[in-house]
This record gives sequence, structure tokens and C-alpha cells, in this order.
Amino acid sequence: MICYVFDGTFEGLLTSIYEAYYSKIKPEEITPDWQFQPSLLKVPITIETDIEKSSKVYNAIKTKISAAALKNVYYAFLSDIDGSSTMIYSYVKLGFQLGKEIDLHLYNDSVLNIHKIIRKVTNETHRMIGFVRFKCINNIYYSPIEPDHNILGLMAPHFASRLKNENWIIHDLKRGLALFYNKKEWAITSFSKENGEEFFYSEDSGPYEELWKDFFKSIAIENRLNPKLQRRMMPSRYWKHLTEI
Amino acid sequence: MDIHEKLKILSGAAKYDVSCSSSGSTRKNTPSGIGNASESGICHSFAADGRCISLLKILLTNYCVYDCVYCVNRSSNDVPRAAFTPEEVADLTINFYKRNYIEGLFLSSAVFKNANYTMELLLKTVTLLRNNYNFNGYIHIKAIPGADSNLIRKAGELVDRMSVNIELPSKESLKLLAPQKNSDLILKPMSYIDSQITANKEEKSLYKKAPSFVPAGQSTQLIIGATKDSDYKIMKLSENLYNNFNLKRVYYSAYVPVNNNPKLPSIINPPMLREHRLYQADWLLRFYGFSASELLNEKNPNLDVNFDPKTDWAIKNIYQFPVEINSAPRNMLLRVPGVGVRSVQKIMAARKVHLLNFEDLKKLGIVLKRAQYFITCKGKYYGDIVFKEDFIKKRLSPKVDLNYIDNPKFEQITFFTKDSFTSITGEL
Repeated sequence: MICYVFDGTFEGLLTSIYEAYYSKIKPEEITPDWQFQPSLLKVPITIETDIEKSSKVYNAIKTKISAAALKNVYYAFLSDIDGSSTMIYSYVKLGFQLGKEIDLHLYNDSVLNIHKIIRKVTNETHRMIGFVRFKCINNIYYSPIEPDHNILGLMAPHFASRLKNENWIIHDLKRGLALFYNKKEWAITSFSKENGEEFFYSEDSGPYEELWKDFFKSIAIENRLNPKLQRRMMPSRYWKHLTEI
Repeated sequence: MDIHEKLKILSGAAKYDVSCSSSGSTRKNTPSGIGNASESGICHSFAADGRCISLLKILLTNYCVYDCVYCVNRSSNDVPRAAFTPEEVADLTINFYKRNYIEGLFLSSAVFKNANYTMELLLKTVTLLRNNYNFNGYIHIKAIPGADSNLIRKAGELVDRMSVNIELPSKESLKLLAPQKNSDLILKPMSYIDSQITANKEEKSLYKKAPSFVPAGQSTQLIIGATKDSDYKIMKLSENLYNNFNLKRVYYSAYVPVNNNPKLPSIINPPMLREHRLYQADWLLRFYGFSASELLNEKNPNLDVNFDPKTDWAIKNIYQFPVEINSAPRNMLLRVPGVGVRSVQKIMAARKVHLLNFEDLKKLGIVLKRAQYFITCKGKYYGDIVFKEDFIKKRLSPKVDLNYIDNPKFEQITFFTKDSFTSITGEL
């Protein structure tokens, strides 16, 4: 069983799709190197990322399928879900057959899988935009997060327009990435957990964290306690970085 | 009094207002400003009661001249009282906002001294936020009944949403529980805000740069179960509010007994299941093309808590079913129990390119538990029981009579645990 292994970049994924399209022996699996699990049955082939090849695939998806499909592919890529690269491959293959109608074929497993993943990514992005908790350290607003999916880039425009006159950092501890904003523009760079320790262990200077905790407690109606609903809406895996709970 | 104490008192006093929405406004940030509105609304946290926390929901003060029987802040109650200054509210809002705790401010108030004085304080607070702090996040404030329309207009030009709470669904109930208020006093500002919103829309169509007036619309709240008003009366009222005052939302709040008074019903649990059914019916009015009189009438004035209102309607109108999934028009698909707006969208999209069978529906994520009895796929009926009203009704009946939830005296069933209760009420 042929398994393409790429370097984990979006361009690497698109290059893999290019190679798969033009090779005689089709891969059964495409996976980023960090997710690759060797087995006796798998024959790994390392794919070298090639900007030219990847941009060909990029443009082909956009023109021969649709701009929406390209966005779907990118969001599914950001999911970091095991097996998502193979699902993207099968979605794109089908897309080249069906063209722009592909996203109507919701009963088809290749389409369905991608749509399910995208929903997870967009849902988490929306949730996390609410669950980010900044602490103010010397006028820099710092928030650690540990999302399931690689959503820093999807969150960036929201905070850049909302808090445009502040300096802030959103730190994805899980992936060792951080989204920095300097009152002008944002950028995502690698930033390890250790690099962020200075921020992570600093305390917010004002009384506002305590006030927020007070508010959180007093706003609940005690005759209507519903911890199950609370956990469904705000899963406990996110609680670690929430100030109030 | 320190700010911690004030916040505890004045958020605790505001919690019975159920509105939490921060949606519907597209206010943009300004070059030197802070904040913007998110059209879909954002929940920032969920309190122990499972309700979303989106806005800093507080009263400016809980000193009140009114003595409404149902209200925790009634003047004759011996509760700790406090008042924020507009500066304190602005400072809290900005600092919570910068830390991403909230989408903005929901500022309400008890009536302090008189309506105009209170409205002026609210106006002062939002002016401070918008003009001095350049705050462009979401602001929802209460219009105080009886306040000068000039003050309401000025506030409306600064905020995203305004609301006036009707609280009691009929004149008789108002007379009984809030004798100092009357329905005209409440409806007057609502109708004024509506006329200003309409005028502003026309103005905006002519001059794009005209300032917005209450861009996220107005909402109100009705208390459920503090009076004898029927569901029919309540739904009729809501329907009128949606149709005549263009309200964005009517909220329903199960009465929580905060005061003891012979005029109030003695209840053990807040009628939360009834509240849930009313929300479902409200959704049917706003998104599913139903009218109140289709769901309820004088003879059947209350929703059956054992069925969701759409299922109840479908069983009573079984002659309109089953509908063919591959050809039924959108408005009929929306009437199939268990099929929501999102499911209808998926069905409409998929059937353009494919004749759907029952398995396909499962893949699309359509919940077939209820829908199976009301549809056919390619002409075939897939219900697990013959297509007959009584059989279907029996199949869809809950195992225990749910009337028990709101009225524990109704029928004592010991195996009815608190867990099954929360699973029924679900997400509000």
C-alpha cells in the first residue's frame, strides 16, 4: 500500500495531490510526516514540496471545481485530524469529475467526510473566538489556548479588527505556534510553550479577573442549575485556560 | 461600597433577564476605537445554569420606586441595594472587553427616583462608552417605560439593541402583580422605537452614512407561569409583537419564585419544560412559517408538554402527510417533525443532483426518529409502524408523562431522575 508522506505544509499536501494525479500507481493514503505511522503494509514515499506543482493544483481546484471547494480543502487541512489528508485527496479527485456541483453531493462519503471536518473546524473557531481569555501584562494581552484544530489563522482577522489598537498574543501551546499582533498587522510564528512561560506565569495586574469570577458566579440562576448543559456548550477540555472556572 | 460588592449585587439582580443575544448588529470598529459587533453573536462563557454569557449583564441600580409583586427588586423587599456610577460601568465594560470576557454591555436598571432620571443615567453611561472610550462593541439597554421619547431616541442612536420587558402577558395580570404599571406605559416606548427603526431604515436607504438606530432591533421578555395566562394568549401576543412591532426576539422566562405573596402561585419548580415548548413554538412562528392559531386555539389553549409543538401539529394534521422528500416544497419540508432549517437546506441541495433514499437521509444527518412517520422516499414509507394517527402518536409519546417535571404533584414517579429532565429541556 502506497502512502505519500509530505512535510506538513499546505503546499506539501497540494504537491502530493499533484504527484498522485500524474503517477501510475495511486497512493491509498496521504499523510503529513508528523502523523505518519509506519506499518508492514505501508510503503512510504516522501513527497518533496514543490511550489510550482502546488500552485497548479491550487488554481485547478479554484477554476475547475470552485473557490468554495478550495476553502473547504484548506479548512480540512487545518483540522489536523488523522486521515484528513487522504479524505481531501478523495474529495479533490471527485471534484475534478463533478466540477462546481460537488458540494451538492452531500450523500457521497467523500463529500460528507470533508463537510463534517469543516464543521468541526468552523465550530471550534467560533467557539474559541469566545473562549480566548487575555491577561494584561505590561499592556500586552496574552492568551494561551489548546484547540483541537489549527485555527490561529482563522481567528486572526476577528481579533485584528476588534482589538486593533492593542498589542496581543494568542499562543497555541499544543502546536507551539503563536499569533502576534502589533497594532498594525498579525503574523503566526513558532513559539514554544517554554518561550511563552514568562507570559504564562505572569499575573494580570488589575482587579478584573476577580471581578469576572464574581460576575460569573452571581449571574447563574441557582434554581436552574444545569451542569450538563453547561458542559455541552462549553466542553471541559477548554476549561483549563478559562479564567472563571 | 467596593466594586466587588456592587458587581455581585447588581449582576445578581439582573440575572432574571434572560436575553443574552449579541447578534444582529454589524457595527464596525473605528480607527482609534475598540471593538466591533459580530453579526452572528458570540458566547463567551456558560454559567452554571447552562445559559450563555455574552454580555456584561448588570443593573445600573436596584433601588426601585416600583413594587411589582413578582420582582426581586420590588421596593418593599429587604435586599441589599447598590448603584453603579456611569464611570464604573464604562471601566468594567472596557476592561472585560479587552480581556475577551464579553461581547459588550447589557445595561438595565430598576427605576430610581423616576423614569426620566433613570433613563438619563443609562444614556449618560452609553454616551461615555461610545464617545469617550470609543467603544464599538455591542450595547443593549433597557428603555425605561414612561421616559421621555427624546431620551429614548438619543439612546437608540448609540446602542445596538433596546428592549422593554412586557413581563406579564395580559392587562389583568399586570393589574394583579404590577399595579403601578399599565400596558400602555409599556407598549408606548416599544411602538416609538419601532417607528424610529423604520424611519432610520428609510433614511439609510437614502444616505448610506446616516447613523444607525438600534440596528440589532428590539426584544422583550415574558414571564411564564406567574399568572394564569394561557400559551395561546402568550403566542398570540408574541405573534403580534413580531408582526406589528417588528421585534427581533421575544424571550420567555419560567417564573422563579423569588418572593412570597398570596397573589403569586406557589410552585415547586420553575415551569421550565413549558418555557422550552414556548421557545419551540416561537421558533415555529419565526423560521417555519407557522401561525399561532395553527398551533393553538381557544379550545386547545396550552401546548402539550409531552410533544414538541411541531409533532403535536403534525399528528393533528396527519392528512397533510406523508410528504415525499424528493419533491415536497420547502415550506412543507419545514413542517416535517424532526426536520430543522439546516436539514431542509441539505435536502434541497442534495436532491438537485440525486434522488434521495432513506439511507441518504441518515447520511445527511437528518434525525429520523420523528421524521420517519411523516415522509416517503421515492414513494416508500419507512416508518416502523403503520401510517395511522393513533399508532404514530403512541410511538412518539414519551415513556413517562412529562407533566410531572413542572408539577411534581401531578404524578409522582420515582425513577424520574434529574438527568432525564435536563436531557429533555436541552439547549435554550
